[in-house]
Amino acid sequence: MEFGFSEQDQAFRAEVSAFLDREVNETIVAELESGLGPGPETRKFRRLLGARGWLTVTWPREFRGLEGTNIQRLIVTEELTYRRAHYTHVGATMAGPVILLFGSDELKREFLPRIALGEIEFALGYTEPEAGSDLANLDIRAVDDGDDFVINGQKLFNTATHFADYHWLGARTNPNAPKHKGVSLIIVDLKSPGITINPLWALNNQRTNVVYYENVRVPKRNLVGTRDRGFYHIATALDLERMFPSGDLMRDLDDLVDYLKQTRRGGIRLADDPLVRQRVAQMATEVEAVRLLSYHIAWLLDRETIPNYQASMLKLYLSETRQRCANWTALILGPLADLRSGSKWAQLDGRVTRNYLDGLVRTIVGGTSEIQRNIIATRGLGLPKA
Amino acid sequence: MDFALTNEQEMLKRSARDFLAAECKFETGRAMEADRQGCPPDFWQKIVDLGWTALPFPEQYGGAGGSIVDLAVLSEEMGRANMPGPFFSSVILGGLTILEAGDDQQRADLLPSIVEGETIATLAVLEPELSYEPRDLRTMAYPNESGYVISGTKLFVPNAHLADYVLCAARVADPRQGDEAVSLFRVVRSEGRAEGMSLTALDTMAGDKLFEVVLTSTPVARNSLIGKPNEAWPALRKVLQIAAVAKCAELLGGAQKVIELAVEHGRNRSQFGSLIGSFQAVQHHCANMVIDVDLGRFLTYQAAWLLSEGKECAKQVSMAKTFVGDAYLRVCMLGHEVLGGNGLIDEHEMPLFSKRAYSGQQAFGSSDRHRELVAQALGL
Repeated sequence: MEFGFSEQDQAFRAEVSAFLDREVNETIVAELESGLGPGPETRKFRRLLGARGWLTVTWPREFRGLEGTNIQRLIVTEELTYRRAHYTHVGATMAGPVILLFGSDELKREFLPRIALGEIEFALGYTEPEAGSDLANLDIRAVDDGDDFVINGQKLFNTATHFADYHWLGARTNPNAPKHKGVSLIIVDLKSPGITINPLWALNNQRTNVVYYENVRVPKRNLVGTRDRGFYHIATALDLERMFPSGDLMRDLDDLVDYLKQTRRGGIRLADDPLVRQRVAQMATEVEAVRLLSYHIAWLLDRETIPNYQASMLKLYLSETRQRCANWTALILGPLADLRSGSKWAQLDGRVTRNYLDGLVRTIVGGTSEIQRNIIATRGLGLPKA
Repeated sequence: MDFALTNEQEMLKRSARDFLAAECKFETGRAMEADRQGCPPDFWQKIVDLGWTALPFPEQYGGAGGSIVDLAVLSEEMGRANMPGPFFSSVILGGLTILEAGDDQQRADLLPSIVEGETIATLAVLEPELSYEPRDLRTMAYPNESGYVISGTKLFVPNAHLADYVLCAARVADPRQGDEAVSLFRVVRSEGRAEGMSLTALDTMAGDKLFEVVLTSTPVARNSLIGKPNEAWPALRKVLQIAAVAKCAELLGGAQKVIELAVEHGRNRSQFGSLIGSFQAVQHHCANMVIDVDLGRFLTYQAAWLLSEGKECAKQVSMAKTFVGDAYLRVCMLGHEVLGGNGLIDEHEMPLFSKRAYSGQQAFGSSDRHRELVAQALGL
């Protein structure tokens, strides 16, 4: 047992922190908080990270990764989220790993270095109106036509398609097979003719999209892995990728503690209010538990052990802790919690209003808490499926 | 970061589990709740023979040189089995207090017999003020020609009835002393008695042999002082941290067993034509139990490791006890939901756990108390 970091990892964290303290600026943070996705400043920043291999820490050097550990990967994302300068790189965390594991040499050479360098970005193309938690129910069709697929159908809640270069599309290539055995993963250039992207706005101001495919032609060489095995490729990759940093929760907590020490209500410092002390201590305890769980998963991955239920646990506990922290912070701030960024009298830049709304989103996207609990029960505890 | 147990720790865990599964079935734990002594005959000698009472003590006193992490590993197994008896009080509260607070001579004189299980000790700290703050101690020690005379009331003293001596935290009567001036006195019981000391068994939820100890002008020799007068608080604070963490491990061991009982029930019990373990409500209860135990374990072992390394860890200790104190209660409530009617009957194992979850919340500081300590550690 050991709950400290090696000297090498401490040095790595120091290097990452120093770099981020220099390079993260208000514009990057503002772009990411706009809900519109990475803007020009963030894209520039992404390339700086990519040049250091920090977008794909664990990838082979051959594909511009660092061949680093998952602990180091988590250190990078933890420091990024602490500075509010992180967004989920679909290319690095979802598409790239599948290409790495299952893609042809040609596809690997064509895509992996550009992902690692931060030059291109992907958008996930899984969800549809009738395929949310039940992903196997997806129905967009990729039909053979010579050397191409012709794709028709619709995707829903495909966040990032409006700024990404490629769609990481799950499409049905075999309508006659059982549902989960007829799906393929296809890389689609989002500039292809026939693709229409319409915005949807989530309650937290984040843009997501409805995407229509009308006779979109995609070369068959863009199929990743084995035809009709896409669902299994996704599952394998998910097992290795579900590592979520919680630096943003730590940062919110640190900012709140500073605020409490300086702010008085009813003649006493908020920091001296017993109820406030109880709530903040509970928040800190839960945030620490999340942190340890995230490092536990990184440690398992570094030992080449699949975190078969722990990843689900982290996803749900992180998102639910985020909700609790937002609600408790609002109770602590009192009526001023209601004021959004820019309002007169708003506290801590109105951040708690964004955290509340983000909290509602994050227990749903990426696999609902209910699905995660099902996974913990069935994969983790061996309880029978319904 | 390394979450693995060493080979030795794995062996300790496995051997403790096997031993307790054979020698401490749940009927034993249940019987001991009502039993006045609270420890089956021969059982104490068996665990002494296993070397458990030697575990956390340095080799120079006959100990095994084990760490607080080792102690946590063992404590988990003890909690899983609802193990009765004075191990916790004698080894942790008694022995580790002498180790931390005593001078070299006292350690050499007193530790070997604790290690060998020949002597049973315990610690008396909490009073009717119910505060762990040294300034709130009201038990007073008045110096006289031969030593001191101690008066005060202590509550929740574990296994006082079995103790050969009770380590009492008291304040030496002296208006000049500061808030943290605490002294420790070894009050010896001969043939089950000490002059001026009276014991009253408290009737607790878990039947875990906690006592009110009233000291009425109890005379003690000068050399009954453990360490120097007024300087015991740092050592006592550390022992209370170790005790809280060991208690967390013990509670988690019980919680883990509750999960296993629930899962086994889910896999075997059918209603409405299906195994109830296939119902989402049951699955979600079990998932929530796993979350509580896994996270509680990370927090607990982090604190145990920091204590083993001698690092300052007040925040982490209190985070562990905060979390686990609440978590075990949740796990038991959910365990009862899954187990249904059968789990409510005294002849079932489950009530042992839920009663211990209740008392565990209060042991060495409740979740509320430890949240306050976390707040202090955060600088609020």
